[in-house]
Amino acid sequence: MMPAGEHRWKILERIGSYAAGELEGEEAREVEQLIFERPEYRLLAESYAKMLVILATLGSEPVEAPEAVVGYVIRRAYISAFMRSAEAFIGALGRSYIDAFVYYLGLRRESYGGGT
Amino acid sequence: MSSDSDQAFAIRASRGDVEAFRMLVHEHSGLVYRVALRILGSEDAQDASQEVWIRVWRNMKNFRGESAFSTWLYRITVNTCLSVRRKESRRGEREYGGEEMPFLPEPRGDDTDPEAAALGAEQREEIQTALGRVRAEHRAALVLRHMEGLSYAEIAQVLEVPDGTAKGWVSRGRAAMLLALAEENHGRHEIGGTGG
Repeated sequence: MMPAGEHRWKILERIGSYAAGELEGEEAREVEQLIFERPEYRLLAESYAKMLVILATLGSEPVEAPEAVVGYVIRRAYISAFMRSAEAFIGALGRSYIDAFVYYLGLRRESYGGGT
Repeated sequence: MSSDSDQAFAIRASRGDVEAFRMLVHEHSGLVYRVALRILGSEDAQDASQEVWIRVWRNMKNFRGESAFSTWLYRITVNTCLSVRRKESRRGEREYGGEEMPFLPEPRGDDTDPEAAALGAEQREEIQTALGRVRAEHRAALVLRHMEGLSYAEIAQVLEVPDGTAKGWVSRGRAAMLLALAEENHGRHEIGGTGG
């Protein structure tokens, strides 16, 4: 048998699902019966409905992010993009210098398209 | 911005286009901050929002457009918020030890319209405090469902859990939230239980 605390919690959740309009058919009718029979369950269903309206109302209010957040993340993105480009540029420049140095020291013979 | 242009900007940003990223930040910074605010409260919301956008930019190259950009953004936002709360102790739920079922009192004064009553500063604080008492994963699911209006399929995608789990988390979050609110209002209900 289910412990009393667990049973009460189950009812709490089911009436919540009913108040949120998520129960259909037989399940919904069972909860309606409970609500009809027990005034405390009716009060519970009404409390859920009130809470859900408040949550939806708060959820629909526009919330602006602080300007500091927006400014900071955009600045960071620009800096990181610049660093990426600089890294690529310096990398390419470094490789060119090494190639030139290797060529200058004669460590690698230059070949031009199929030559020997 | 439509979801089509979201996708287009996201694809451009994934190729390193900072201007496209800037557009996405301007368009969705409210969403990120709002969700962080609901899950974490005002104290941590700003830092978490910054962290979300840093993660978005860092992972932008992995965005392939397979899911909607907003779903992807919700996922990063919720994961970031949950990682902030990772150390939060797990509260015992799924048992209610109170003798009476919880209920919320009628709004004070003549104001019986819950929508209007919700605008009161005191009630906002009560809601935020009560939200803070719901276990983090359940709170996130509750916020996505009842404040952001996402479907269970979308919540499951964001939280990367099966649909049934998403539904269960919302249901538990809803019950825990009502208990916490009733406790705020009456100071005599408890969330009982044995860890979990």
